Amino acid sequence: MNFFLKKLLIVIPTLYIAWTVVFVTLNIIPGDPVNLMLGGRPASDEVRENVRKNLGLDKPVLERYGSFLVNATKGDLGKSYLTRQPVTKMIKENMMPTIELSIGGLIFGVFFGVLFGIFAGTKPNSIRDTISMIIALCGISLPSFWIGMMLIYIFGTTLGWVPIVGDGFVSLILPSISVGLFFAGGMARLTRSSLVDVLNQDYIRTARSKGISKYNIILKHSLRNAMIPPVTLLGIQFGLLITGAVITEEVFARPGLGQLLLQAILAKDIPLVQALVVYMTAVYIFLNLIVDFTYGIIDPRIRLERKN
Amino acid sequence: MEDLLKVSNLNTEFKSDYGSKPALNNISFNIKEGEVLALVGESGSGKTVTSLSIMGLLPNNASVENGEITLLSKKNKEINILNLSDEKHNEIRGNDISMVFQEPMTCLNPTMTVGEQILEVIIRHKKISKINAKKEMIGLLELVEIPDPIQRSIEYPHQLSGGMRQRIMIAIALACSPKLIIADEPTSALDVTIQAQLLELLKKLKNSIVTKTSILFITHDLGIVKELADRVIVMYQGKIVEEGNVLDVFENPKHSYTNNLIQSLPEFKIEKRKQKKIIKKETNNKNIILSIKNLYKEFPVDKGIFKQSNESVKAVQNVSLNVRQNKILGLVGESGSGKSTLGKTIIKLIEPTSGKINFKNQDISNFNRQKMQNIRQKIQMIFQDPFASLNPRKNILDTLMEPILVHKLMKKNEATEYIKQIINDVGLPIESLIRFPHEFSGGQRQRIGIARALVLKPEFIIADEPVSALDVSIQAQVLNLLETIKETYNLTMIFISHDLSVIEYFCDEVAVMYLGHIVEMAPVNELFSNPKHSYTKALLSAVPKVKAKKTNKILIKGDIPSPINPPSGCVFRTRCPNPGIECKGGDIKMGLVEVEPNHWVDQCCAKLN
Repeated sequence: MNFFLKKLLIVIPTLYIAWTVVFVTLNIIPGDPVNLMLGGRPASDEVRENVRKNLGLDKPVLERYGSFLVNATKGDLGKSYLTRQPVTKMIKENMMPTIELSIGGLIFGVFFGVLFGIFAGTKPNSIRDTISMIIALCGISLPSFWIGMMLIYIFGTTLGWVPIVGDGFVSLILPSISVGLFFAGGMARLTRSSLVDVLNQDYIRTARSKGISKYNIILKHSLRNAMIPPVTLLGIQFGLLITGAVITEEVFARPGLGQLLLQAILAKDIPLVQALVVYMTAVYIFLNLIVDFTYGIIDPRIRLERKN
Repeated sequence: MEDLLKVSNLNTEFKSDYGSKPALNNISFNIKEGEVLALVGESGSGKTVTSLSIMGLLPNNASVENGEITLLSKKNKEINILNLSDEKHNEIRGNDISMVFQEPMTCLNPTMTVGEQILEVIIRHKKISKINAKKEMIGLLELVEIPDPIQRSIEYPHQLSGGMRQRIMIAIALACSPKLIIADEPTSALDVTIQAQLLELLKKLKNSIVTKTSILFITHDLGIVKELADRVIVMYQGKIVEEGNVLDVFENPKHSYTNNLIQSLPEFKIEKRKQKKIIKKETNNKNIILSIKNLYKEFPVDKGIFKQSNESVKAVQNVSLNVRQNKILGLVGESGSGKSTLGKTIIKLIEPTSGKINFKNQDISNFNRQKMQNIRQKIQMIFQDPFASLNPRKNILDTLMEPILVHKLMKKNEATEYIKQIINDVGLPIESLIRFPHEFSGGQRQRIGIARALVLKPEFIIADEPVSALDVSIQAQVLNLLETIKETYNLTMIFISHDLSVIEYFCDEVAVMYLGHIVEMAPVNELFSNPKHSYTKALLSAVPKVKAKKTNKILIKGDIPSPINPPSGCVFRTRCPNPGIECKGGDIKMGLVEVEPNHWVDQCCAKLN
């Protein structure tokens, strides 16, 4: 447990650095949020000053930085320049659709990724290996907007099997496939190479010398040993998804964190961008912890190392 | 006795993009019930391919081209193994024939407890309930003499020592009381002491419950063959060159290859030297070139950022020794005894914790990097694994040139001539210079390793297990080379090895190390004929020898303790076969005393004798 406590302690400096980087970058890049808010409409200096004061932009940079940090520790991440709503509320509203999409993509990606990985890895350099890996390569390299549009065209409009927009589980299918294909491609390739490696290990030969069936050798002896690299990828990719898949959200006209972040950056909505960065950093750290924890479950050697 | 396994006209081939290469050439032999048949030969002779052909576990690029392997199964039916489908073969594997592999470190699944791995094979073949299988599993662990079997069965392989893991492998092999056990170099990766324990166990098993079980024992070690086997088959380049009773074959080998193999054993070479009365000249060379005083090396145990650790790995403890000019000092001991660390500490590849190192009357222990640069030219190392210690992307000329240029010994064109001479001296053709490390065999690579050490014109060489990875005949060649080179280049050496016969053959003086301490030090003939320390005695008796008389072995129990928490007092007392009362208490301090001229023994054992 000591190990995870240490990991948790690292969260605080990580978050602090992430915020600071965002704060500094957003203040350095040219463009005045007031201008963006006014949307190019002419306004008198007085109006501009008012807006500036309202947003707290009249204060010196260091003071804004300081008060932001102080407020953040109280859980108040500020209000959006654009909508004047508390940013935490805005994030909460957009979080659910993103989580739904991420989990959908995760399930699709892991299932098909591991399946194709095993299919290919148990018979390397065979025809089925080549075909599986070509499919995986397609999953990685085809742009998701194109996949999304194709899915909509084929299954949504031409065949009419699933609704393209709307709420609920059914409408989640196509977007999940759209983001999950990329996921599945990476998983398949990694599972394959890791499995090929494990199947060449001495202990697999030992298992075969015991007369264990092929099926059990893969299921009981190989998969668990082969899972460390795929799990690492899983953590990274799930992190990407849960912080928002802008393009898929756009194609399927879904709300989500990706969209929110894009708008916030374009509008130079500093509080919102900062809050989103906090959220994303936290999610990444949390996922990393889960991945680390999973390593321990998979490999007893890692567990022992941590105990000492 | 009936024939249990008949192999006739077996041909196995390896296929690659460049065509096929025969690995086995018309092999025929048989194993009788209850017999121990040894299969010996050097690497590449086809021993392992034979065993894998029988098991049906050949790698994908190898296949049996023709031949027949018939097995008398448990149900007394003759089965042609080669005609079996994979499913049918699985019925036999682990049940009728089982196998023990060489590498205990990698042969067990790291994510399953050892108990599960034994259970698995019992349940697979015996079709009994899990509770009964568990009882059998514990019984097997007791049979292979694993202490505290219930606790051990829920541990993972990495929690066990190499010897323990190999016992687990044996338990797996024994689980279904097979007709045949194939043991492929089961003790080669282990220390002699642990090897002796395992051989003792195998002998015991052979004489007790498994009388009907035959063993096909694959090894390169002729001493083990002598100890364990009834019959022996000698293989060379995929062919059987000799077959017969162990005693017959060793007494008067018919094939010249067998004869060569036996003659290149260090024990025979020592014998020959004695016969020729070329006893090493006892030149009273008092010129001490390297002198170490009270050397310590402790590695702090890393406990993380927040904890300062008080624990340390005590790798080298209070070591003092002298090496005289033109002499070879042998360092011997089990793995984990601190031999290599001591070697590296001497040339400060590892910084010593305390103590003095005197090289040619200079105290180099406090030298900084720059000053060491000059010393390192004078002291060179030869490493165990020449392949790993050569840069794969540099040809041999560049590899040998680099140190010369770094030390600014000579100009480039001058150096090329010099390197040519050296490569000639180590017995390699000049053309080797434009080749790359992967184009050489193990023995040739070690020659390159020696050349690399020689180019700097050193006066002192530390050779760390330079011949351990090599086959016996190659080993003999490399040792001969080292000997000639020592003479021509006027060298002084420290020779680190775990192989006592090599040490006996090659060295002038020997220091025996145990857990960081030197426990005994003497001229080689004195040490081997008159060992004083119990550890030395145990080590000497653990070596399987072809010429050995049947003597009672002094077995030492268990594994070498952790150097983080070594036993108090005499570090050997926990494994000592005959500890005195004082030793057991752990009150006796360690330290060498001179019992006879030049013969130093740790005082704990010195008192007892």
